[in-house]
Amino acid sequence: MVRLVLASPIAVATRGEREIEIEFEGTLRGLFDLVTNRYGKPFQQRIFEGDGALKRFVNVYVNGEDARYLRGLDTPIPRDATVDLLPAIAGG
Amino acid sequence: MGYVRGLRCRACGAEFPAVQLAVCESCFGPLEVTYELSAVRDSFRREELKDRPRDLWRYRELLPVLDESARVDLAVGFTPLRRAADLGEALDVREIWVKDDTVNPTYSFKDRPVAVAVAKAREWDLPAIGCASTGNLAAATAAAAAKAHLPCYVFAPASLEPAKLLVPRIFGATVVPIEGTYDDANRIALLTADRRGWGFVNINLRPYYAEGSKTLLFETWEQLGFELPDVIVVPLGSGLLLTSLEKGVRELRELGEVADPPRLVGTQAAGCAPIVQGFESPDGRPKPVKKPETVAESLAIGDPGSGFEAIQAMRATRGFADAPNDPDILDGVRLLARAEGLFTEPAGGTTVATLRRAREDGRIDRDERVVLLITGSGLKTPAVWRDAFQSLAPISPNSTAVDAYLEGLHHG
Repeated sequence: MVRLVLASPIAVATRGEREIEIEFEGTLRGLFDLVTNRYGKPFQQRIFEGDGALKRFVNVYVNGEDARYLRGLDTPIPRDATVDLLPAIAGG
Repeated sequence: MGYVRGLRCRACGAEFPAVQLAVCESCFGPLEVTYELSAVRDSFRREELKDRPRDLWRYRELLPVLDESARVDLAVGFTPLRRAADLGEALDVREIWVKDDTVNPTYSFKDRPVAVAVAKAREWDLPAIGCASTGNLAAATAAAAAKAHLPCYVFAPASLEPAKLLVPRIFGATVVPIEGTYDDANRIALLTADRRGWGFVNINLRPYYAEGSKTLLFETWEQLGFELPDVIVVPLGSGLLLTSLEKGVRELRELGEVADPPRLVGTQAAGCAPIVQGFESPDGRPKPVKKPETVAESLAIGDPGSGFEAIQAMRATRGFADAPNDPDILDGVRLLARAEGLFTEPAGGTTVATLRRAREDGRIDRDERVVLLITGSGLKTPAVWRDAFQSLAPISPNSTAVDAYLEGLHHG
C-alpha cells in the first residue's frame, strides 16, 4: 500500500484526512490522478496550478526525498512508498 | 491590549482571524500579521518610545502578543547599533553601522522571533514547543522554553557543530539529531509537530515568530535618530529575516514615520545560495540546493521557505543579492573582529564580504549609509577556524624561551 501523508494545512484538500492508504504503483502523477478521482476537483485545484504544475507552496516527498530532486511528477512510486505533502515552510 | 487585526496571505491576499494557522488555507502561501494601524498611530509615538523598557517589547503595539503575562522575559533586543568607522575606512564607505545582535541572551537574533512565538504558545496553552534548527534557533528556543517551563524539542542535523547541539541540552531541551541536512530535519519536524500538536516556532507558529525579527528594523530606525539607512545588508537563510524587515519598513511607512525604504541587500554563502540564484533568474524563484556546503552553517538552508518573498523585497527596494565564497566570508569575520572588536559567526562575515564586493564593483556607493546586521556570535562556531591558525606548542615559563618564541613569530 502507498501511504499518503498530508500536513494538516494541506489536508483541507482531502476533507481533513491526513493519512490515506492506497493500492497503487506507478508515477507520482498517476497517484495524484487517483487521489483526484477520490477527492474530486477541490484536491486538484488546491495542489496544482492551472498549467498542471505543483503549486509553489506545496512540497512533495517520496520516501523522504524531495520530488524536485527526483523526477518531479514522473517520479516512480513503488507499491510500499510513503508520499508526504507538506507546506513549503523551511528555515527560520 | 493588542492591536492585531488578523492574518493575511502574502501571496493571494486572503484574510483570516489571528489564530494558530501556519499557512494560508486557500493557497498555502505565507501568512503575515496585520494591525489596526490607525489605533497603533495613537500610542506608537517617538516621544513615548524613549521611556520604554530597553528590550523588544518597547514596540509592543506592532507585536502580536495579546496577553502580556504570556511573555517570557529574557531581556531580548535593543542591542547596540555601533558606528564602525574603522571598517568604513577599510571598505571605503563613509558611514557603516553594525547592528550587534551577538549580545542577545543566546547570542543571536533568534531570541527575537522566539520571544514572540513562545508567548503565543503560552497564550494558546500548547503542551510543548520546538523548532527545526541550524543551531542558533535551537539555543534560543531552548532558553525561552526553560523560562516558560515548557518541554522543548529541537530537530537539527546530527552533523552540526558540537557546541550547537550541546547548548540546547544545557537548557534542558531534547535534541533530536537527524541524519541528513537541515531540510531533512525540517521535514520531519513539520510532520512531528503536526502529529503531536506541539508548537514549532518556525513552522506552525511562523507568522507570529516572523514578527519578532522586524524589531531589528525598528531598533535601527530609532537608534539612527528615527531614520532608516540607505542600505541594510541582511544574511539570508530562509529569507524570513529579510521579509520581516521589509514588513517593518512597510509598517513605519504606513504610520507616516518614514518615507523611502532602504535598499535591502541579501547575502548567502556561495556553497548554499538558492535565494541569490533565484534573484538572478528571470522567474525570481529560489533554486533549491540539495547538499549545502559552506562554513556558514546557520545560513545552510537548501530550500528556503521565504525565498520567493525575499527576492521580491530585494527587487522592489532596488537592492540585490550576493553570494561570497567561504574564504571571503572568513576574511569578513576577521576584518570585522580586527577593525571593530566584534567576533561574529560566519553569517556576519557574509555581510561584510558582500559589502566589500559591492564596493569593488560599485553596487553600493561610498556615500550610502550602510547598516550590517551581525546576527550571531563567533564563539558558537570555533570549528570553522580549526585550520586557520598554527597550533600552539607550550613555551617554558622563562624569559629566554619567551624571547626566542616572540622573535621567531609572525606577529598578528
